[in-house]
Amino acid sequence: MSKIVVVTSGKGGVGKTTTSASFATGLAMRGYKTVVIDFDVGLRNLDLIMGCERRVVYDLINVINDEIKLSQALIKDKQLDKLYILAASQTRDKDALKQEGVERVLDELKAMEFDYIICDSPAGIETGALMAMHYADEALVVTNPEVSSVRDSDRILGMLNSKTKRAIEGKEPVKEHLLITRYNPNRVEGGQMLSLEDIHEILRTPLIGVIPESEVVLQASNQGLPAIHMKGSEVAEAYADVVARFLGEDKPMRFIEAVKPGFFKRLFGGK
Amino acid sequence: MAQAQEGRQATGRQAPRAAEVFELKSASLSLLALVLRTADLAELGAELRQRLGDTPEVFNQDPLLIDFSQLPQAEPVPADTAEPSGQGQLSLDAQADGVAEIDLPALLALLRGYRMQPVAVVGAGPALLARAQALGLAEAPDLGSGAAVRTEPRGETVVQEVVREVVKEVVVEREVAVPTDAPRTLIVDKPLRSGQQVYAKGGDLVVMALVNHGAEVIADGNIHVYAPLRGKAIAGARGNTEARIFAASMEAELIAIAGIYRTTENPLPDTVLGKPAQIRLEGEKLVMEPLKL
Repeated sequence: MSKIVVVTSGKGGVGKTTTSASFATGLAMRGYKTVVIDFDVGLRNLDLIMGCERRVVYDLINVINDEIKLSQALIKDKQLDKLYILAASQTRDKDALKQEGVERVLDELKAMEFDYIICDSPAGIETGALMAMHYADEALVVTNPEVSSVRDSDRILGMLNSKTKRAIEGKEPVKEHLLITRYNPNRVEGGQMLSLEDIHEILRTPLIGVIPESEVVLQASNQGLPAIHMKGSEVAEAYADVVARFLGEDKPMRFIEAVKPGFFKRLFGGK
Repeated sequence: MAQAQEGRQATGRQAPRAAEVFELKSASLSLLALVLRTADLAELGAELRQRLGDTPEVFNQDPLLIDFSQLPQAEPVPADTAEPSGQGQLSLDAQADGVAEIDLPALLALLRGYRMQPVAVVGAGPALLARAQALGLAEAPDLGSGAAVRTEPRGETVVQEVVREVVKEVVVEREVAVPTDAPRTLIVDKPLRSGQQVYAKGGDLVVMALVNHGAEVIADGNIHVYAPLRGKAIAGARGNTEARIFAASMEAELIAIAGIYRTTENPLPDTVLGKPAQIRLEGEKLVMEPLKL
């Protein structure tokens, strides 16, 4: 039975696409047939982060408009044969997204026996974001530990339990998971950023993971590799933990303690 | 904050006998009333700026009733429009000419600037009423002064008699006309998130979970929040001054009872902030007290 997971946030630039890419990759690494769809019509960048921008011929809008078959638009990932990408259109805009069209595409993907369908939502609360979340079974709400991101995430959480198909039809509500990204424990300790407790106080949503702030994310996107591929890095480990928790495993939260550099590190100017 | 009610649902017809282009039916609208206590627009503007300047978005094109009945004369009049008395009626009629000088277009522009939408006036003398109607405002029937407003100003003694009779009639009318809405309580058990709004029409509101910043809880009656209240709480939305706001942890960003409101830019007192508390209206003042649980 396919599961549709939306990666959303409200606020822009918090790490939705980075997360969609790594999360989908992580699931595929575990052997699940996964597809990740970019709903940011006109401002697509999932394909860049996944490293397949040169192989995008057809996109989500072509499929919605019945111009080509879904199988022609799906791009198979080079590293993992269980992972597929459906890019957004760059030339059209969000008005091209139609609800029946989106429903049809998702039904077709379910018929192709995908285990997980990850929807990378655009920022905001307009058509693109609403379409991406409408058919979701579960949601990853990506939040930075700062006040405007938390406020916007609160708004999005409100919409997840009122504007989605599950909410409208009175079915079991969308399962919400909070993912904190760009977490810097030193800044939290210094009082510059919100702590996990502060965020929980406001959002009251179960935490699925904390991704630490890291330069690795930038390096990864420059290389066109999802961050979870950057073996040994904290970010890759954190995303792997998120996938594990999503699949029901119990993993302690890592990378949330401020680390004072050891004596030698301080001596030789480490961080 | 306004709600429109329809008398009955309009149904579509399959075979129009005579092509029905529209239907006229009764509807009612609850609206905010702005009771003016000064005809001095400069003074009004300053007060509005002081009270609303920091939160200009409080109103959102809310339909507004302008109440002229309390405007002061040479000697102050007892301000009690709830109970019409012969005295009150007299002064109303006398002030019909007194406030004729009020610059109505300027007043409307001032109110619209704060996103209030004046739609009707009450307590206006015949001259002022005529000008208001010319500007597209409706006359709202005020059970106390309606009849007096419509009569031509006559000799004082004659007016007194007419008014007394009218008052008697009106009192009877009022007894019959008051709508009896069985008060219902609306219970919400999901957290209210930023941007969500709940309105308990005709009764109390009970919220069993968090009311976050940016959420709004509104009730014609009381509001009870058995969790932190961080958003806007508006009780007595249709004028019930007895309404109260209760919260397990009072952290609201705005509180209002029967139109008297306060933003927490002026912070809540320490005895109340973040603690179980109740807020009620005493006259025109919002009184905040901790709850001893």
